[in-house]
Amino acid sequence: MTVEPVPDLADIQGNILRGYKKDHVRHLVLTITDPQAARRWLLDATSGETAGTPQVTTEKSYSEKPPTCLNVGLTHAGLETLGVAAKHLRTFPHEFVDGMASRALKLGDTGPSDPRHWKAEWQDPSKVHVVVSVHADSPGQREKAGKEVLDAGDGAAFDKTAQLDGDAFPGGQVHFGYRDNIAQPHFAGIRDPIDRPDRQPLVEVGAVLLGHQTPVEDVRWEVPQPKRLGFNGSFNAFRVLEQQVGEFEDFLSQSAALIKDNGMANMVLPPDVEKTWDPPTSRFEAMRELVAAKILGRWRTGVPLALSPYSPTPVCLGKLNDFDYANDTDGLCCPVGSHIRRCNPRSSRIVQRNTNHSRRIVRRGMPYGPPHDPDHPDDGKERGLLGVFICASLIAQFEAIQYDWMNLGLQDPRITGTNDAVVGNNEPEFSSFTMPVGSSSIELRGFSRFVHTVGGAYLFLPSIRALKYLGSLHP
Amino acid sequence: MVTTQPSKWVQFLQSKLTQPGEWLLVQYWKHRAPVTTPTWVWKTAPGDNLQQCMNLVMPLADKTDVGRARAAKAVAANVDEIFTGLNNVGTVHFARFDLIGGNLCMFSVYDGDLENYLRDFISVFGSVFDALMELVEAPPPTPCGLHPEAFIDWIIAHDAFQITGDVPSLFPDEGNIANLPRDVVLLLEQHPNVQLGRYSGYPGKSAAQIRLATGIDW
Repeated sequence: MTVEPVPDLADIQGNILRGYKKDHVRHLVLTITDPQAARRWLLDATSGETAGTPQVTTEKSYSEKPPTCLNVGLTHAGLETLGVAAKHLRTFPHEFVDGMASRALKLGDTGPSDPRHWKAEWQDPSKVHVVVSVHADSPGQREKAGKEVLDAGDGAAFDKTAQLDGDAFPGGQVHFGYRDNIAQPHFAGIRDPIDRPDRQPLVEVGAVLLGHQTPVEDVRWEVPQPKRLGFNGSFNAFRVLEQQVGEFEDFLSQSAALIKDNGMANMVLPPDVEKTWDPPTSRFEAMRELVAAKILGRWRTGVPLALSPYSPTPVCLGKLNDFDYANDTDGLCCPVGSHIRRCNPRSSRIVQRNTNHSRRIVRRGMPYGPPHDPDHPDDGKERGLLGVFICASLIAQFEAIQYDWMNLGLQDPRITGTNDAVVGNNEPEFSSFTMPVGSSSIELRGFSRFVHTVGGAYLFLPSIRALKYLGSLHP
Repeated sequence: MVTTQPSKWVQFLQSKLTQPGEWLLVQYWKHRAPVTTPTWVWKTAPGDNLQQCMNLVMPLADKTDVGRARAAKAVAANVDEIFTGLNNVGTVHFARFDLIGGNLCMFSVYDGDLENYLRDFISVFGSVFDALMELVEAPPPTPCGLHPEAFIDWIIAHDAFQITGDVPSLFPDEGNIANLPRDVVLLLEQHPNVQLGRYSGYPGKSAAQIRLATGIDW
């Protein structure tokens, strides 16, 4: 790995290299109604003067944790509206220029996730210019900072298209009950206090920042021009992902019953092992939890199957990310088709031998909507994940994961032709998931798509210098 | 023997003036309602993501036999690296280099997304392509590792356009061969090299699946 100097952290928007660890977020989806007022706001939000206008947070270390943090993401239409010259707009990667809705086939956004079915605020991508994300310790602080953003230019700068609030669940869980946000890239030269032991190689900052060495040897993504606009920038695939929790839980029950009724329970889980779990549970519930673990690669407690194939009970929290699949070639502990192994094969053997570690992305998702209530499974309320997927190349990282690995399984011939069971573009007629058991396997079939895309946009996260540049444009 | 060819201007005039009326008609159609062909939509249908074809036609800067010999030498000098690289890409069924007229061609069958395939190219044998780019007309900036997007755009621009699906349906008027559909004519005007169809002896299988099934290490 080429060792490069640590980038200027004061020039990089926060939440890219290190997470904010805040429990509340508000994503304001905005249309620029007065470009001059919007540019003025960008200057104010990067001025360092904290009175009045909330400041865009940087990666620079702070001595006192701020109550709110702010990020600004811009679509191609937003950059154009701010006055970026056409010759410079053409230097952005074509997938960003096309926008997320145009990439639907590649992303698996078909059927119920087809952009034609997306929510109203995403139906006209030309009106989606800016997504301002406010991260806060409390809903009150989020409300205050969000209002200050909307007041920009005496309220003339932006028209609010949508306001999407996310709130962390206790224990860092998400709607399907999994503990999330455990594995993130560890960047070379960047210290993050919450970094867990991780036997994967350190990741070059060029995986998420433009203008730096990428994880692919001798490859650098082209920096949009002028350089002060593109350098140290990043991309965010922002996705609103509705989750069908009731259907997911039904699938777990049906699969558990199938395994039990066919006398396969003792093949996948040693008899009575569930009595040693903390807390102990029934054999049927244990089967449900095992299926949930097998399709994800972790128990819902976050414990990786690679370290603990028969128990979800956390042994050592520090070990949650310190594992590999090198000794689990056939996926007997963690199936090859499980979600986390598909998205990040670590050092597993894969077909594309040079790409094991080259598609790492940063995830900063937050649940939205009320938790699923099993006693009222059909409450009619929407719930899901506000997904933030950060990388330096949308096409080489985010889209490549979505297309080749999640929705095709190209990385291993034993899963090629199948989709990720948790988030993949599944249809009951074709879906399947294989749980290897000894020299045999259990095939789960007939499940539908549990996650529907209902909106989203490709956003550019400019550096602080770039935001100032945008604020000072005179088109 | 070095062949002598008419100048580019003479070739152009010859090609356009053979049937000047038809050429003018095509230009008029193009002016009135140009056909835009988004590559992604045309090239790939959902589920049709294994055994994709890349038909790369790279016009040589020097189309004489000497220039063609230089291109052959460049391929020959790197053939081991190319084959090792293709093996490491892992998703390739077949690949071959051909000289066809004044073009150096690479025809291959691969799995997955074209752009991912090309990025794997860059990482495993980018230096070979850098050498080849020195021999072609209007090459992209090199090294391709520092200009991956421009390299990929260039390759896509020189990849033969693929008409997927039902080719006969493009010609609904069976009874009149002279009555060629306007869209097809404009499509061909926009894309000089076109793949009209492909056959697979083992559809829906990846290269790695074939290797696994036949006992070849994947």
